[in-house]
Amino acid sequence: MGDVAGGSTPLRPPVSSGAGGPVVRVANLSKSFGGTRALVDVDFDVVPGEIHALLGGNGSGKSTLIKVLAGVYTADGGEIEAGGRTAGAGAWTPRDAFDAGLRFVHQNPGVFPALSVAENMAIGHGFPTGFGARIRWRELHERTRTLLARFHIAATPEMPLGALSPAGRTMVAIARALQDSEGDGGAGSVLLLDEPTAALPAPEVDLLLDALRHYAAAGQTIVFVTHRIDEVVDIATRVTVLRDGRCVGTLPRSEVSESRLVELIVGRPLEHMYPETVAGAAAGVVLELRGVAGGAARGADLQVHRGEILGLAGLLGSGTSETLRLAFGLLPRSAGEVLLEGRALAGLDPAAAMSAGVAYVPADRGAEAIFVAMSVRENLSAAGVHRYWRGLRLRHDEERRDAQASLRDFLIRAASDSAPISTLSGGNQQKVVLARWLRRRPRLLLLDEPTQGVDVGARAEVWTLVRRAAAEGTAVLVVSSDFDELARVCDRVAVLRGGRVVAEVRPPALDGNRLTELAYSVEVTA
Amino acid sequence: MTVDSAAANTALEPQAVPAEPGPPRPAARTPWAMALRIVEQWALLILLGVVVLFFAVWSRTSSVFFSVDDFRLIGSSQAVLAILALGTIVPLICGQFDFSVGAVAGLSSVLTAASFAHAHFPLVAGLAVGVAVGTAVGVVNGFVVTRFGVNAFIATLGSASVLTGIVNWYTQGLSIIQDIPSSLTDFGSGNWLGIPRTVYLLVVVALAVYYLLDHTPFGRFLHSVGSNAEAARLVGLRVPRIVFGSFVVSGTLAGVAGVLLLAQSGAGNPQVGNGLTLTAFSAAFLGATTVRPGRFNVLGTLVAIFFIAVSITGLTFAGASNYINDLFTGGALIFAVTISAQLGRRRMGAR
Repeated sequence: MGDVAGGSTPLRPPVSSGAGGPVVRVANLSKSFGGTRALVDVDFDVVPGEIHALLGGNGSGKSTLIKVLAGVYTADGGEIEAGGRTAGAGAWTPRDAFDAGLRFVHQNPGVFPALSVAENMAIGHGFPTGFGARIRWRELHERTRTLLARFHIAATPEMPLGALSPAGRTMVAIARALQDSEGDGGAGSVLLLDEPTAALPAPEVDLLLDALRHYAAAGQTIVFVTHRIDEVVDIATRVTVLRDGRCVGTLPRSEVSESRLVELIVGRPLEHMYPETVAGAAAGVVLELRGVAGGAARGADLQVHRGEILGLAGLLGSGTSETLRLAFGLLPRSAGEVLLEGRALAGLDPAAAMSAGVAYVPADRGAEAIFVAMSVRENLSAAGVHRYWRGLRLRHDEERRDAQASLRDFLIRAASDSAPISTLSGGNQQKVVLARWLRRRPRLLLLDEPTQGVDVGARAEVWTLVRRAAAEGTAVLVVSSDFDELARVCDRVAVLRGGRVVAEVRPPALDGNRLTELAYSVEVTA
Repeated sequence: MTVDSAAANTALEPQAVPAEPGPPRPAARTPWAMALRIVEQWALLILLGVVVLFFAVWSRTSSVFFSVDDFRLIGSSQAVLAILALGTIVPLICGQFDFSVGAVAGLSSVLTAASFAHAHFPLVAGLAVGVAVGTAVGVVNGFVVTRFGVNAFIATLGSASVLTGIVNWYTQGLSIIQDIPSSLTDFGSGNWLGIPRTVYLLVVVALAVYYLLDHTPFGRFLHSVGSNAEAARLVGLRVPRIVFGSFVVSGTLAGVAGVLLLAQSGAGNPQVGNGLTLTAFSAAFLGATTVRPGRFNVLGTLVAIFFIAVSITGLTFAGASNYINDLFTGGALIFAVTISAQLGRRRMGAR
């Protein structure tokens, strides 16, 4: 059947809103990446005029589902029906998705802040042109004005997009995606939004949700991917929850409640929850955050002790990564104090943090940690070249000896210390970055997603190295979106929500599900 | 830094650095693979030998090519250019372009000449003026780039034009020839032990740059910033300070080249200067394909300078006129950047 819909079929108009049946229907959809099953027999449908939320935790398959619908990923099996077109999921192309009236706005909406609103509307869609490919600006501005009115965007066509608020920019992206659908509110088309609120600050989120509510009231069908339960409770008319690639339930609005949703996400009933208390151990505090705010962090309080591994669990936008960056002096602090062994961290300066004994392993290894054109040895020494600068020359022999010792000590598999770092696997590159810092015997080690893109074997080795450092007295603060992993390796995990520490979990109660519950809950009874 | 990332910075050769490089490549251990690597490493030097041999046997040039005097001439005449090229690689390594080196050399030679002719400075003071002028321009370039965030490409292209304008304004387009100390011009034209004296200066400068790049933390920092500026910041390097320093070094070396230019020509000529920049860049990029392929390096740059000089001299002997200079230099630059991009891509495992 995939062959039939493969592009040779004549285009058919999208179904009209009057049809009543689902505008999108997905049956038995499956997709694997290598050995990982991202989607398993997913069934899912969208009816006209609804706001349908796709909810799930990290790695639940919600983004994969959207990408399969967009034709970006090819599914292994199943069937997609949309806008009157049916196809074997394996044969669903971006063209099919477009012709079926599916319109996507991705997490990064692909707008251009330096260009005008009108130009943003035209890009990727086409400028109206006259003789000699001259752009008919008046026509473009006129059309844009109509669109802005229709989508309730407070802007003029001539304004640079950058002058709009973040929510306004997302709304422009939505208007651009839907501009062809007619004035009936775009009933024939389906708007699919992938985590539209993830990067927005709180007041902006409300603005965008309001706008979505308006569009839906005008008849627009909307599907949006999110991991925020409060948004679902706020605006969704139906919600489908995914867990481990399976569809675990679709609830109508009347059955939606926060506890029911958390239960579906986590897969077991919600326990009574309250923050656990910190047991004594005030001695040996290496890092203390007092009401630190900056970026997504909004007043975090935290203590990390000598020799302990403290995990930070939280959803995207909860302020976990920002907390690390604040402690390393990378992010300007708008309030609060960062104390290192009782002394305030000065200014915005990684070098100052380093000399105070702080080490930081960033999440994006390729962009922020690896010197890709340089050797393993040079990468190892990068945070301490001055150690080899004696008697007006760099002691290359000593550097080489140290590098070779590090290859052994830190379980790095490389052809030699002079091999380019790019010849190493992701896991070994990460061990190089870790070794770069652990060689300095830091008092505080900050790790952001240290096992991202690291294979299973190397993952265990990374944690062995971190644990060894902790045993030697280093305080470790680690952020990971893999809560099971955090629960396994940490002595204690602090849960962040909305930029604040809302709970702390210790071993008897420490497991991945508990962290997920805490990270997702909207309110905590203290 | 690598050539391709320098190119990427200026959109000559945009190229994404893969976040996740491919699987480790097997180390080249077979004799064939090792031989291939050695050939790749010394390809330009081998090519230089081939070019010399070719002009020595080609009927149109064999009668005039090559006497010992020719080599002496090429050696001494290329010293200025070689010092300029060595200056350009310092900012290039940290991902920045300094297009003002030629104009700085011109300004330095004119002002040094003027300090003798008009101000009657003693020899050492005049030399100091020439070098200091270069340092000062480097400071200004570095300041504009790091403090105001102006793209170095544009900032130095602009300062080159401004400096050329100042030189022509000051000299009214006329060379300054009076009162140049003979000790200086002797240095520019004489030999020691049969080798032009300027070549000795070139060797000293080359060793100094080599020392700076390979044996000081600053050199390592330049490479780190060029390879990944954000990672450099996150290991505590003060990136703007390092970039600033690289412009001071390139400006200073251009000042030295300017003084040498005066010593060789015996005149502060306002027409010479800016035209040297592109040849210096050609040599820098061509040099990055050899000795340490994929990295700007001192020895490679020197080999490249002589490769370009010998080729142009040979073609001139064969009857080509002035146009060959531009033609060959530009061609070499494009060729070199292409090769560098290929090398870079392969090194990153994205064959």
